This record gives sequence, structure tokens and C-alpha cells, in this order.
Amino acid sequence: MSLEQVEQLAAAGIINGSFYALLGAGFGVILGVTGRFHYAFALTFTFAAYVTSVLETDGHLPFPLSGLAGLIAAAALGVAIERWIYRPLAHASGALSLLTIFISSLGLTIAGVNLITLVWTAFSRSITLIDVRPLHIEGVTFTTLDVLIVATCWLLIAALNATLSFTDLGRSIRAARGNPYLARIMGLEPDAIYLAVFAIGSLLCGAAGILDGARYAVQPNMGIRPVVFAFVVAFLGGTQSRPLVVGLAGLLIGLIESLSGLFVSPQWSSLVVFSVLFIYLVLRPLDLRAFRIQILSAMPDPARGE
Amino acid sequence: MDYWWDILNLVLIFSIFAISLNLLVGYSGQVSVAHAAFGAIGGYIAAYLSTKTGLDFWPALAAGAFGAGLAGVLMSLPALRLSPEYLVLLTIAVSSIVLAIVGAVGELGGAYGMIATRAADLTPLPGGELLFPRQWVVPLLAFTALTYLICRRMGESAWGRVLRAIRDDEIAARALGCNVVAFKVVVFGVTSAFAGLAGVLLFYYNQIASPSVYGLDVSLKIFAMTIFGGLGNFLGSILGAAVLQLMQPMLEKIIQIDPGQAFLIQLVIYGLGLVVLVRVRPQGLLPEGFSLRGAIRSFKSNAATESASHAIAVAAMPLQDARCGAPAALPQQSPVILEVRGLSKRFGGIAACRGLDLDLQRGKIAALVGPNGAGKTTVFNLLTGALRADAGTIRLQGKEVRGLPPDVIARNGMVRSFQNVRLFGRMTAVENVMLGIRQLSGDWWCWPNGTRGGENLADLFLLPGVATRVERETREQAMEWLRLVGLAGVADTRAGTLSFGQQKLVSFARLLGTDADVLLLDEPASGIDSKWVDNILGLVAFMRDRGKTICIVEHSIHVVERLADTVFFMELGRITARGTIGELTSNPRLTEVYFGTV
Repeated sequence: MSLEQVEQLAAAGIINGSFYALLGAGFGVILGVTGRFHYAFALTFTFAAYVTSVLETDGHLPFPLSGLAGLIAAAALGVAIERWIYRPLAHASGALSLLTIFISSLGLTIAGVNLITLVWTAFSRSITLIDVRPLHIEGVTFTTLDVLIVATCWLLIAALNATLSFTDLGRSIRAARGNPYLARIMGLEPDAIYLAVFAIGSLLCGAAGILDGARYAVQPNMGIRPVVFAFVVAFLGGTQSRPLVVGLAGLLIGLIESLSGLFVSPQWSSLVVFSVLFIYLVLRPLDLRAFRIQILSAMPDPARGE
Repeated sequence: MDYWWDILNLVLIFSIFAISLNLLVGYSGQVSVAHAAFGAIGGYIAAYLSTKTGLDFWPALAAGAFGAGLAGVLMSLPALRLSPEYLVLLTIAVSSIVLAIVGAVGELGGAYGMIATRAADLTPLPGGELLFPRQWVVPLLAFTALTYLICRRMGESAWGRVLRAIRDDEIAARALGCNVVAFKVVVFGVTSAFAGLAGVLLFYYNQIASPSVYGLDVSLKIFAMTIFGGLGNFLGSILGAAVLQLMQPMLEKIIQIDPGQAFLIQLVIYGLGLVVLVRVRPQGLLPEGFSLRGAIRSFKSNAATESASHAIAVAAMPLQDARCGAPAALPQQSPVILEVRGLSKRFGGIAACRGLDLDLQRGKIAALVGPNGAGKTTVFNLLTGALRADAGTIRLQGKEVRGLPPDVIARNGMVRSFQNVRLFGRMTAVENVMLGIRQLSGDWWCWPNGTRGGENLADLFLLPGVATRVERETREQAMEWLRLVGLAGVADTRAGTLSFGQQKLVSFARLLGTDADVLLLDEPASGIDSKWVDNILGLVAFMRDRGKTICIVEHSIHVVERLADTVFFMELGRITARGTIGELTSNPRLTEVYFGTV
């Protein structure tokens, strides 16, 4: 392996990793605050890409407008799903809501993706964000689009991080994430916070979908693989962690996936990623939740009204 | 006609997947979205053996199921200490790893998979080669029935009762003496073996094993079948498999338009169907505990509810009439049953317990009192193994138990109650008590739980008579304990719906059911109506008279005064005084520490 090869793979790893970071940050804020297994993240991803692509090619809208429309569509879809599907379902299914929401989300994705295929056919479409030119720097080749992707991803993650840290909305969200029970006592309205969280998470997801569509192609099933990565990155980064930390976990996964190409052939790279994840889960020194339960085992449980 | 036979066969194969997943998710609460991946392990093992070495159907089937079961046991090890969310992640990882391996290894056909070189041949059983869908129906019915019967036997028995206890409250289950680790490992192994069996059948039926047959989407579909059919109900799983598997062909028959479009419309309706169905029946088509017999029984018992509430109102049966627990054959052994020396525990910078010494006298009641935060509950957690002590010795009947897991300590005769009761909310009162009762046995084949009866798989499957007898005795004993605490009337009520006072009494009955010699009671009288306090105190004294050794943590001086033979005063993680309550209350320093004023 030459140094040049390492550099090239590392560059690819950074580009993919930034993309995973954005996905993970978006999924993580939803999972961390609401605890919903939002598999329909895949649908949001695809939907944003389609709206952008259709407006751009069929509607002849210039890029910033078409992209904006895609982002709004993504956020609206996320909010609508939370408001009209997850929320009533969570009320109806009580303790089983983790599982029923997962199933519901799965059904939505199957229905939505096929609806998209019905409306816009299965042929792949494209998105043109900027004039794509190759760049050669120090023997490493990438494109102007790659630069845009990396910059956009980290800009959005930083924006989310700042929102959570410095705004009133962000403080409410963090309060609801840390202790939903206490947040309710303090007069925070969890329903409204959940909607805001779905809007934000879906917005990031939509941005990832548009970038992915511009880099490769817009296809009905383009969201299936990313949602698994979003899931993995969000958990690896920690559901209670700050978006920047989750982002670093995404970057790490991208680099591992890419650099494993130095040692094994490409079809093994996803095996490497999931093996790392598996090893992480095996070696996790302590499940924090179980630990907390043990400590609290004999303390009065506020949820039971003691 | 073959079209419908084909659909029926797939319903049957997926029923095997869904039933076994239900045992895992519905009964033991372990969420897995890797079920199809275990099918892949089974299917690929069979495919490899039959195409490369020419192995026959039956040995290939056995090898596939065994291999998948072994993989399931391996996966259970990291799964043991993961919460449901992380378990989903772990199983996604396992699924992806399995699929990546079979998709990347050239020997296994890569992305295209392996094509079978021969049909399934049932010889020596009648039926011969299975070439057409209609020939498959009877064998598949037999496999599904076998899966159903075995999973049902495991789920609807004392064994399954432990699984459901683990699902509802793992810590409480361990504290009662259930070997949670062994149960989880076995349930992962068994359910994965069934997934492997279904995977082998799928390979022989389709005559191909490829990554897409066992993909993550298939796992999710099986998962949906199980949830949708109803967790904790095996008939529901068959129904769920049938509905989801039939939805597509039904739509195909109903919506007859351009075939390309129709396929997409079917999938849209299928997806929306999942959303709607799970919304309309979040508990699933057939909820847990639903059965025809049960429905009739609950109809009959409607008339009995009135007398049940009456039973609660009346006092518990007179204790001297109780038949529970033989009067103690009074101790020839050493008078000290529990000897604790130098017990220490730190949480980071905080020493919750430092060099604590404690002796419990056989057949006496001791009380552990002290200000809040003195570490009293921590002592209980350390004694019962819920927390691991940093140093010290804990001798129970002369045997060192420090470092043993909570369930082993419980089976050795020391159990504890919880301040917040920790009943298994979705199970009935009598089931809660039955979980405390077990017939211990030292025979090697009763390993690892050391019990006879339905909690022992050997008894459950090979000696059904023993399992039935033990189950009946357990139920009788449990009813006896409930009668003792005055709650026989609510025996079949779900524990979660009882009042807090009733829950406390049930938890007391459950504790007594363990027949342990040492009972650690964490605030037995707190949080309940004063008219029941007498009741509980009477029970504690009754158990002492039967030879039990009791240690209570209690804030109420009146309770301590009435019950305790010895009082230990605890401050900042150590015992600073001991004596009778009179001696301690006459010490002005202690009363100031405890009451804040003299």
C-alpha cells in the first residue's frame, strides 16, 4: 500500500464519514429525545431528494429554491408523521409503543417508497447542486461537490449543536432528553418539543438525502442503507451525547469503512463496520441504564406515585 | 391450485419464524431483528452440506438448526446486559454481519447464493422427494405443529413464567432466585435453532439460499408478523404470519390492473395496512393470555368479583390456623445464621459502606435503623449480591456468599423485599407468588437453576408428570400464602392493577413462598394504610415464630419497638451502636442523629 493510496482512501472516508455524521446527528436528536425508532427516516431521506430533483428538472426551479423546498418537505413529513401517526399510536399502545412505532414506521416506509415509485417511476433521477469539477491536491482526487458535502454536513451539525446549547428551544429539548418526567413538572410541553425535534431531525435528514442524490442518483430505495447507518452512528455516538460527538462517531465509521479497503477487498467493508459495532457492544463496560436501575432499585419510584 | 398451496407453504414456514420469535420477544422481552439472519445460518449450512458433500435432508436439517442455535447462544452473551434499544442495534449488527459474510464468500455463491442440487427427501419417512408445493403441505404442517407445541410448552409453563418475570422486572426475578442468565441463553439458543430450522426449510422449498431471501427486510417482516399477531400469544403469531403473507396475493387477486403498477399498489396498501393495523390493535390480533378457555373462565368469574372485594375487606385468616411453613425444629446449629465482617463498598468518592460488621441471630428479628443516606438499603443490596462489595465477608449458614450472583444467594436461603415492591405487573397475584416457590434439587441434571418441575427443561419435556405435579403443588402453596396475607380473593387479578397496600402484601407472600431462612425486609410497613400495618407486623412476628431470621430496615420507631429483638444503628456506612430499642433511644447522641433533636 502506498501513501497515496492511504490518502485517497482517507479522503473518501472523510467524505462518507461526514455524510454518516449528518445522518447520525439527525437521527440521534430524534431518538435521544423522543425514544422513537423512526425507521421512516429512510422515507424522509428519499422524499427530500425527490422533491428537489423534480422541482429542479421538471419545475425548472434554480438550485437554492429547489433545495429549500426539499428541506421543507422533509421537515413537514417528519412533523406530520409524529403528529398524526406516532403520537396517537404511543398513547394507544402504552408499554408496547417502542415496538408498535417501529412497525408503524416500517409500514410507512414501505408504503411511501412504493408511492414515490408509482408517482415518479423507478428510473433514477439526478440533482445538480453545483458545477462538479475534479480537484487534485497532493495526489488526492476529489470533486467540488465532495467539498460542498463535507462543508454542509459539518455546518449543519455545528448549527444543531449551537441550537441545542444556546437557544431556549435547545435548552427545552435537552431538558426533555435528560429527564422527561421533570421537564413535564417544570411546565415544558413534551408534545410541542417532540414536534420541534422531528422538524429538526428531518431537516438534517432531508439535507443528507439531497446531498446523496447529487452525489449518486435519486432512486426509490436510496434511503434503506443510510437509515441503518444513521441508526448505528446515533447509538455509537450515544443517544444523550451532543451532536458534535455523534458526528465524530460518524466520521470514525466512514474512515473505518474506507480504510479497511487497504486490507480487505471492498465487498468486506460493511462487514468490517458492523464487526466494529459488534465488538463495541460486546466490550461496552457497563450498560449505563442497567447500572442506573441497580442504584435506584431500592429508591422510591416517582413514576409509581410514591 | 399450486399457487395457493405455495402461499400456504410460505405461511407455514413463516409461522415457524414468527412463533419462535414470539417466545423471544413476547415472553422474554428480548427484541431481535436478526431472526431471518439465523434462518440464513441454518439455510446456508444445509445448502453447503447438501451441495458440496451430498448430505441428506434430515442430517442437513439437523446441522442447520444446530448451527443456528449455537450462533444464538453466542449472540446471547453480549445481549445479556443490553437494554432493548441496544439489543435492536446488536441484532441489526448480527444480521448485517451474517449477510455480509454469506454475500462475500465465493464458496457460498456470493450475491447470487447457492442453488440446490437435489430436492428435499423425507426418506426414511413416507413422502419421498418433495417436488411440488402440494407435497410440501403435510410435512410443513408437521414442522409448524412441532414448533408450536414446543414453544407453547416452554412459554406456557413454569419455564415461561420465569421468562415473563424476566421481561417484566429482571432484578426482581433474580432476587427471587431465578437464574436469569441461564434462561436468557437458553431462550436465545432455542429460538435461533427454530429460526435455523425455518431457514433450512426455506432453502429446500425455494431450492436456493441467497442473501436476499434472508435479508434485514425479511427479519423486519417476521418481526411485524409477531407484533401484529400479538406478543405472548403463539396462535396470534400464526395468524399474523397468515395475514401478512396473504395480504399480497389477496391484493393481487383483487386489484387487477397493469401488473407492473399493481405490484407497487399492493406494496403501498401493504405498508399502510401495517400502519393501520398496529394503530387499531396495538396489542396485536390475539393479546397475551387470550385463549378460548380463558375467555370462558373470565366470563364465569365475573360473578365472583364481588366476593373478591369482600375477601380483601375481611382480615387475613387467623395466623395460628395457617398451615404454611412447618413450626421450626429449633436450632441445633450455630445461633448466628448470617455473619458479616468488614463489608465495604465505594461509589466513586463516596463510601456507602465501610467495614460493616453485622450478625443475625437465628429465629430473631433484627432492625437496621439510621438517618436517611446512612446506607441501609445499600447493605441489603450488598448482602443479596445486587451490588458487588469491594471487601469483606458475608457468611450465610457458614458459607461464604460474597461475590455470588443474586439468584444463587436467594436459592441459598437469603431473600429481600423491595421498598417499591417490584411485582411483575403484567402477571397475576398468584403467578407472582408462584415465582418465589421452587423445588430445589442438587441433582446434576437440574443444573443450572437447580430446580425440579416446569422450570427444568428435562422435567418439562421428559417427565411431564413431574412438571404437572410440581406445578399443581406450587399453585396450591401459592394460594396458601395468599390466603395467609388475606388476598386469596384477588389471586387471578393482574398485580399491576392492585392497590399499593395489596401489592405490598403480595410481595410479602412472594417472599414467604421462597422458603428462605433469612428475610431482609426493606421498609415493610411504609406507604400502606395503617389498618394493614398491623396485619404485616403480625405476619413478620408469625414468620419469626416459625424459625425465620428477619432483618428489617424501618423508619417507624413504633414498628421497630414492636418487632425487633436487636437494633443496629447505622450512620455513614457503619454500625455505630447495637442493643434493644430501649437502650438506643436512651442514648441522647443517637436520638439527636436520628430525630434531629433530643
